[in-house]
Amino acid sequence: MPGVALHMHSTAVSEPPAESLARAHERDLVLAAQHGSREAFAALVRHHERRAYAVARAITATHEDAQDAVQEGFLHAYRALDRFRPEQSFGAWLHRIVANAALDIGRRRRVRDAETLSESVSLPFRDPAEDDELRRRLIAGLDELSQRQRAVIVLHDVEGFTHGEIGGMLGIPEGTARSDLHHARAALRRLLGDLRSER
Amino acid sequence: MSFEPRIGPNGRDDDLTRALRELYAAPVDEGYWAALLERIMARIGEEDGWWQPLAPLARIGVLAAGIALAVASLALTRSREATARMAYETVFETPRSVPLQIATERGQGSEREATLRYVISP
Repeated sequence: MPGVALHMHSTAVSEPPAESLARAHERDLVLAAQHGSREAFAALVRHHERRAYAVARAITATHEDAQDAVQEGFLHAYRALDRFRPEQSFGAWLHRIVANAALDIGRRRRVRDAETLSESVSLPFRDPAEDDELRRRLIAGLDELSQRQRAVIVLHDVEGFTHGEIGGMLGIPEGTARSDLHHARAALRRLLGDLRSER
Repeated sequence: MSFEPRIGPNGRDDDLTRALRELYAAPVDEGYWAALLERIMARIGEEDGWWQPLAPLARIGVLAAGIALAVASLALTRSREATARMAYETVFETPRSVPLQIATERGQGSEREATLRYVISP
């Protein structure tokens, strides 16, 4: 049956056996978790927590907020597990949930900061021992971007997500993610351009 | 950290990307991730632990709410039927009987007898 042989061949080409195995294993874990296995869900958390943290960290202002967003995200995912369809990608589904949790935390923080007139709205976690000029300028530059532009450049350039994946996570069209990335890069290059010419 | 302009074909600035990676680096300590996993599972455990003893009560609550809703719907339906019947009687039945009585009673005796006949008439 040539049709079947062709189909099998194309499947093998599109997805390497190891990935296919990993996907099947993950699907088994998801099904077990949906049937109430806490151990299966813990295995899913163990497998996805680093990537989930990276997503949250790109969106939130601090490491602590990212950590909270990861916890919230996994908790939401656990509650919504019945609604997850195993033929979907668990990672993509989880990243959307974690991104939403991170955006919520960011919104709550902005409200709190506005209420308390805090000046500590600036972005990434500041290392007290940090004294590198580029690093400080980069932090200041990132602070001038919108939260979404910052998230897009970090998710794309640091974490390697595609425009489509970023759009799915942040709930924006792919073209908007592409445009945000372009503007974020241009703004950072402009802000760091002085530093380049000084050197 | 040096910063020279090296923009790749994908538009990515290598030095900028390197600086961003350092800034956004995730914790490397395995203990951190194990602790985070524990915290997540503990929160899930708390949630399950809080919910499970309440589950039978919740089921009773849902059942009671369902019965209350059914009773309220029935009462509402009956109330609407009664209102419609009263409106119908007011419009069609009462005006027809009263003038007929008055027309037939006039001039046939005292007002007291007329009232009595009106009261006992079907």
